[in-house]
Amino acid sequence: MLKKHPIITFIFFGFILFLISNRLDELRVYQGATVAVYAIGIASLILLIGYSGQVSLGHGAFLAIGGFAAALARIHYEAPVWLTFVVAVLAAAIAGALLGLAAARLSGPYLAGTTLALAIGLPSIANQFSIFGGEQGISFDIGLPPASLGEDFTQYKWFFWISWTVALITLYWLRNILNSRYGRGWRAVRSNDVAAELAGIHVGRNKVLAFTISAGLAGLAGALLAMTISLASPGVFPLALSFSLATGAVLSGVTTLGGIMIGSVTLVAIPEIALAIANRYGSETITTNLPGLLVSALLILTVLFVPNGPVEQMHAKRAKRGHSSHSPVEISVRVGSKTWSTKK
Amino acid sequence: MKQFLDMVLIGISAASIYSLMAISMVLVWRSTRVVNFAQAGMALLSAYIGYELVARVGNFWIALPLAMILGAAFSAFIEFVLMRTLQKHSAQGAIAAIAPIIATLGLLGLIRAGIGFIWGHADVQIEAPLSKVGFTFGDTTIVMSPMGLFVLLFVIELMIIVSIVFQDTNIGLALRASAYAPEIAQLAGIRVSGIRTLGWAIAGAAGAAAGILQTVNGTGALSPESLEFSLLLVFGFIAAVVGGLESLPGAVLGALILGLVLAAVQIYISGALVFIVAFLLLLLVLILRPQGFLGSKAGRRA
Repeated sequence: MLKKHPIITFIFFGFILFLISNRLDELRVYQGATVAVYAIGIASLILLIGYSGQVSLGHGAFLAIGGFAAALARIHYEAPVWLTFVVAVLAAAIAGALLGLAAARLSGPYLAGTTLALAIGLPSIANQFSIFGGEQGISFDIGLPPASLGEDFTQYKWFFWISWTVALITLYWLRNILNSRYGRGWRAVRSNDVAAELAGIHVGRNKVLAFTISAGLAGLAGALLAMTISLASPGVFPLALSFSLATGAVLSGVTTLGGIMIGSVTLVAIPEIALAIANRYGSETITTNLPGLLVSALLILTVLFVPNGPVEQMHAKRAKRGHSSHSPVEISVRVGSKTWSTKK
Repeated sequence: MKQFLDMVLIGISAASIYSLMAISMVLVWRSTRVVNFAQAGMALLSAYIGYELVARVGNFWIALPLAMILGAAFSAFIEFVLMRTLQKHSAQGAIAAIAPIIATLGLLGLIRAGIGFIWGHADVQIEAPLSKVGFTFGDTTIVMSPMGLFVLLFVIELMIIVSIVFQDTNIGLALRASAYAPEIAQLAGIRVSGIRTLGWAIAGAAGAAAGILQTVNGTGALSPESLEFSLLLVFGFIAAVVGGLESLPGAVLGALILGLVLAAVQIYISGALVFIVAFLLLLLVLILRPQGFLGSKAGRRA
């Protein structure tokens, strides 16, 4: 039944989260909200890398665009909270469409370099225009939780609820998109663009669409991130954020949404683990450097030994044993004596 | 007139360092088909090693070549450990095309964290060995200083050495052959894997020189999160792409174009626009001439 009606799984998961959020202390609730933010950010990268075959090393830039757009809409136009999220998605999606037009013509390393350049340069650009508030940034205050939720309903719990509601809806929607005509189109383009084109799939349009949606989702994650910190500033969206998201996507496995919690929970857990180790040995050097070290080491080890992520690895193992329900899309086209196929 | 002269001098000085960075990216790309996004991290590490050597040896002129040798050794070590393992476990599916890129990203993070562990996060300072005050002719002072002049001459000298090695020696021939057609080169008796490591080593030395010279010619300060080095990576990448990513003269040409354009923007318009212009230049080249100015059409897909 769960396979047939995935929405039940999502609602069930949401209910569990609701129960959990009532039992945790403030810090954990805040971290839980961050997990939701990372999940959306990682999902946007999975869509881009795993499905459309384009790579972005600078997705933090789109998060920043979303975060700043939401904060600006809130501060200057006093937009309601849901509208700031819409603004964030639209702003990031427009930026993504513009970059996507260029990206569709680029292959791997060129696109990686271009997006990386964007993520490195964007904060310094934001610093130079007063509308973005310089180093301090601009505050993004969504207000207190509604009074009807009771007196002891804290701000962070409110963030948690909003983040997870948005995340679950987004992931459900994304899951459906990836299983639709568009998702199949993206996978076909990724596997073999010549075969896809011969089968009547418009390669360029598909890539731009994927980039646009991915950027829009990243913008949404950015708005949520700014919300949980109540601030949009260059420091909220550092270069390290882009790297973290790429790490999260690789840890989750870029070919499926199934492992997404692995990546997002790991990203939140690593600083925590580092802190615990640092407390044990009482050193500040460890607190500041260990998270980066762990993230990078995990990233390298994953790429070397479990490149497709743990979930895909499990699928592959099961398929080897002979009971697989996993059948990738295959397109092959024959023209004259030449055959193009998406099958490896 | 003076403004124009300043622009040319600033442009050429900046270009000399960008070109070292671009050359190291091109060398790595030619030998293993990887754009090494950790190049700036490796340059930063070499600069820190240079700082340590200057502090211990007390002489910049000995520290510079030593740091370059260590930078080369580190780079060769990375190729040997990371890139070869990556090749052995070559991934399949969506991740295959980007696995090396992601690995270099991880390496960058690893290097930064390592530097933080060893040297801490506070700025350290390398003293410039030469004066950074511009030469004076009569009553005008130009922007070129003894330090800047040394950087420029040193880079030109390195380039002459590299081009002699590539054009006139057997090792250079092997380097070019294995970049052009690895299988055929192997059949012709060239140890392609060893040549790859050598390519990385030369790239490491060039990157080390870029890192140290950039530091002493600039503010002299180093920190693990240095934005200067991130920008060095971006500008080196842009210079390499403008030149075609395949060709060493292209990398130098790309660096010159980038350096002069950015200097013009800085002097005639505003320093705030430098990054935006560089990014637009990158997009423009990628859209209009993705194979770069000196690259061949086939190079882009390879």
